[in-house]
Amino acid sequence: MPGKLFARRRDGRIEVRLNDAGRGAIREVFAHVLAAERDPEHEWHLSLNAPINPSSDDDDPLASLTRQNEIASNAELSIMTLKEQYLNDTEAWAWLSTLQVALRSTAVVNGLLSDEKLETCAPELLDDIRTMQQFLFELAACF
Amino acid sequence: MPSVQPLRFSSTESDVESEVAVITERPWNVIVWNDPVTPMTVVVVIFKRIFGYSNNKCTDLMLTVHHEGRAVVWSGQRERAESYCVKLQVAGLQATVERDA
Repeated sequence: MPGKLFARRRDGRIEVRLNDAGRGAIREVFAHVLAAERDPEHEWHLSLNAPINPSSDDDDPLASLTRQNEIASNAELSIMTLKEQYLNDTEAWAWLSTLQVALRSTAVVNGLLSDEKLETCAPELLDDIRTMQQFLFELAACF
Repeated sequence: MPSVQPLRFSSTESDVESEVAVITERPWNVIVWNDPVTPMTVVVVIFKRIFGYSNNKCTDLMLTVHHEGRAVVWSGQRERAESYCVKLQVAGLQATVERDA
């Protein structure tokens, strides 16, 4: 049975047990989220700017700006801590949030909005999704 | 000698009246929508972190989202509802606000 990818230590920090390939995969995901938040042409950009109040023509600009800043801030913190062996709670939360944003954006842009669509998607795409789910599942277990 | 400010204000008639006015307004609901990719444990962790609910309540809400397609995870004042909605979206969940029917 393979070991855990993340483990909560007694001192409260979370140990990252990813090898270089695992960190490389995560780096790519984090970089995509940061690029998507900054580039309106990025394929994930719309999924990061979903309506807050769909009954209104426009969302409160302050709320939209807050969301944009927080997503970018989480992605930046995640990238800055990519090589760390131990994460504190805030850093681990940034990793989890950024991974989850990436997972959902991947699903949205590929139209994977139901279990049936997910089961019939391309194998490479399904592999990417399963990898992100595995990272998230193990990181969530540390909270 | 400086006057001592009371630490606890006593209720007045006007306080009670404004409270009644707030209660009779329809609240705003924060809705979380189901998606086929987010692991269930991640949803529970996000609810716990953002709302501070108990593990049981977070699990119940997550199961409601999973089985019914959506769940009302918080209700109340509009500004707070929008703030919670943004926090959920920043954490990667599909969330919206809507006025209680």
